[in-house]
Amino acid sequence: MSGPDVVWYLCVAAFLFCTGALGVLIRRSPLIVLLSLEIMLNGANLALIAFARQSGRQDGQIFALAVMAVAASEVVVGLGLIVAMARRRLDLDVDKLRTLRG
Amino acid sequence: MIAAAWICLFAPLGAAIAITLLGQRLMRRGAGYLATTSVGMSFVAALVSFAGLLGDSPDDRSHPSTLWRWLTAGSLHFDLRILVDPLSVFMMLVVAGVGFLIVWYSIGYMDGDDEERRYFAYMALFVFSMLLLVQGGNLLLLLAGWGLVGLSSYLLIGFWHERPSAIAAAKKAFVMNAIGDATMAIALFLLIQRTGSLDFEAVFPRAGSLGGWAANLIALGLLGGAVAKSAQLPLQTWLPDAMEGPTPVSALIHAATMVTAGVYLIVRTHALFEVAPRVEELAAGLGAATLLVAGLIALVQTDIKRVIAYSTMSQIGYMFLGVGVGAYANGMFHLMTHAFFKALLFMAAGIVIHALAGEQDLRKMGGLRRFLPRTYWAFLVGALALAGVPPFAGFFSKDSILAAALAHGWYGQILWVVGMVGAFLTGLYTFRMLFMAFWGEPSAFAREHFHALKRDVVGISLAVPVGVLAVLAAFGGWIQFAGIWTPVSDWLEPVAPALVDASSLQEAASSVIAVVLGIAGIGAAWWIYAARRAEAPRSLPLLERKFYFDELYDALFYRPSVLAARGLLALVERPLVFGSVRGISEAIRSLGSETRTLQTGLVRSYALAIAATVAVVTLVFVVVR
Repeated sequence: MSGPDVVWYLCVAAFLFCTGALGVLIRRSPLIVLLSLEIMLNGANLALIAFARQSGRQDGQIFALAVMAVAASEVVVGLGLIVAMARRRLDLDVDKLRTLRG
Repeated sequence: MIAAAWICLFAPLGAAIAITLLGQRLMRRGAGYLATTSVGMSFVAALVSFAGLLGDSPDDRSHPSTLWRWLTAGSLHFDLRILVDPLSVFMMLVVAGVGFLIVWYSIGYMDGDDEERRYFAYMALFVFSMLLLVQGGNLLLLLAGWGLVGLSSYLLIGFWHERPSAIAAAKKAFVMNAIGDATMAIALFLLIQRTGSLDFEAVFPRAGSLGGWAANLIALGLLGGAVAKSAQLPLQTWLPDAMEGPTPVSALIHAATMVTAGVYLIVRTHALFEVAPRVEELAAGLGAATLLVAGLIALVQTDIKRVIAYSTMSQIGYMFLGVGVGAYANGMFHLMTHAFFKALLFMAAGIVIHALAGEQDLRKMGGLRRFLPRTYWAFLVGALALAGVPPFAGFFSKDSILAAALAHGWYGQILWVVGMVGAFLTGLYTFRMLFMAFWGEPSAFAREHFHALKRDVVGISLAVPVGVLAVLAAFGGWIQFAGIWTPVSDWLEPVAPALVDASSLQEAASSVIAVVLGIAGIGAAWWIYAARRAEAPRSLPLLERKFYFDELYDALFYRPSVLAARGLLALVERPLVFGSVRGISEAIRSLGSETRTLQTGLVRSYALAIAATVAVVTLVFVVVR
């Protein structure tokens, strides 16, 4: 086995995840929120693949592929919503979309 | 013979089921024909059973027959079995025979009613119930028939269900009967506990070993059922209200079925009553009281059907008197003749009511003799039989009961005096009704109804049963002449041997005095209502309110239970039941409105909550490890 130790990969993955999470929590534009979500997912994927490589089995890689597929479909739906909102000239601001308030 | 008895039992049930299932596919009149045919078939089958029994020797005339085991409960089991013996065949003949004529009459009477099919299905069910009651081979089947009779009477009294008064009357009859059913059920439970069976042959021989209080309680319970079903004091108030049903129903309830069931019950279970002689005397006393009270009330009634209804109560009182003093065959004989003349009176009254477009008020009638001559003659025969004028049927049967009472010691002599007063009252109220309805100048109301009609036109199905019953009421009493010619007593002797034996002198004295008093009653009625054509004498509130029985029961039972219900509503229902339910729902609602504030609708706060939770959970995992 060559390349850096798995810890380094995990560090990068944690950094990516935190960046994404921060983006989700701080930004108000739904587009950016979606992007940040993708970053979080990629961080998680990186960790999966790193572990898969460490253990020498392919389960993690296949799992990562599945996550990518889900992420892609999620983006399709999310972007579709955003386009629909833009068409109706609604503000692109997640804090103003709160009709589900209890 | 046994097969015939089963056919007799199930033919009317089959007709009731067939009419119900065929529904609209059956012609309206078809329902009537079907019901009549089935009850006629029952009568023929009863005749066949009767002929079969005649062929046996008198000591060997009891034939039980079991179809299958009906109920099993531990060591107890009850069979679906009938008993064919002289008593049940006697009742089968009366029930099916008179019932057949009444159902036949109904075809004409109910013609054109909206719900003829339902009516005939109920009628057939009624006859079946009564046959089950008299044929049942154990007390449980008897009770089943007893309850079914109550149900059918409820359905038929409330037949015109759009009238509130009919519904109320039906409910009243049902509730009053339910009281009797309950006391009877208690008596049967006691019997099961004491003897371990309800089969007639098993229970009656052991009656002597029941023990004092148990014997008395059982007899009292059975008497309660008999009193309720036969409308005797103190459970008599349902009977006059039951006149809300169609007239043939009244005839069926009063003549062939239902009210005679109590008399049958006492005769059937006489072994249980004989070990409780005080209760048996109570039955005789209640009968005497009822015949007096009913006779007095009948004097002031203005509704033709109600007068006849009270006369039924009074005549059943005679039967109770008879069976109470132990003259079982005399009571049953009076039951039979009463079935003839009472059905006749009701049906003749039905023709009158039919002709007057439903009017039942005696005061609006008058002079109907001119318009309905043949009905008048039929009614006259029935009235003479009721008043006990020889040679009509009532004379033979009523007088033999009175003679038996005279032979029963000092208690019987008191009852005899009451019965004699009753005989006078019977003549008076019967002929008051007859004179008011049929004699005198035709009233304006009657003229109005008859000027367009042809005179005395009644359909064949109305006329023939009335004619047959008129013949029976005139000559039906001749099958037994006390002291000389007693086939009825001989026939019933193996089942219910009489306890008293009146001497010829007592028979003769009772007959002469009763006839004289009856004719005196008729004479008084003629003097008051025909010769002077008076209205009813000054109104007597005590009689018109029927001795305040309804008011008394209202005050004793209805009002206290309403008060108790109100109290429970205010003290238990509202604070405890409603309160606890309301408290729980309030608590859950406030909990919900608290939690809803957590849902802000801000996506980012949700994300923060998720992130924080994940962080906390992770931390916990790390620390715990």
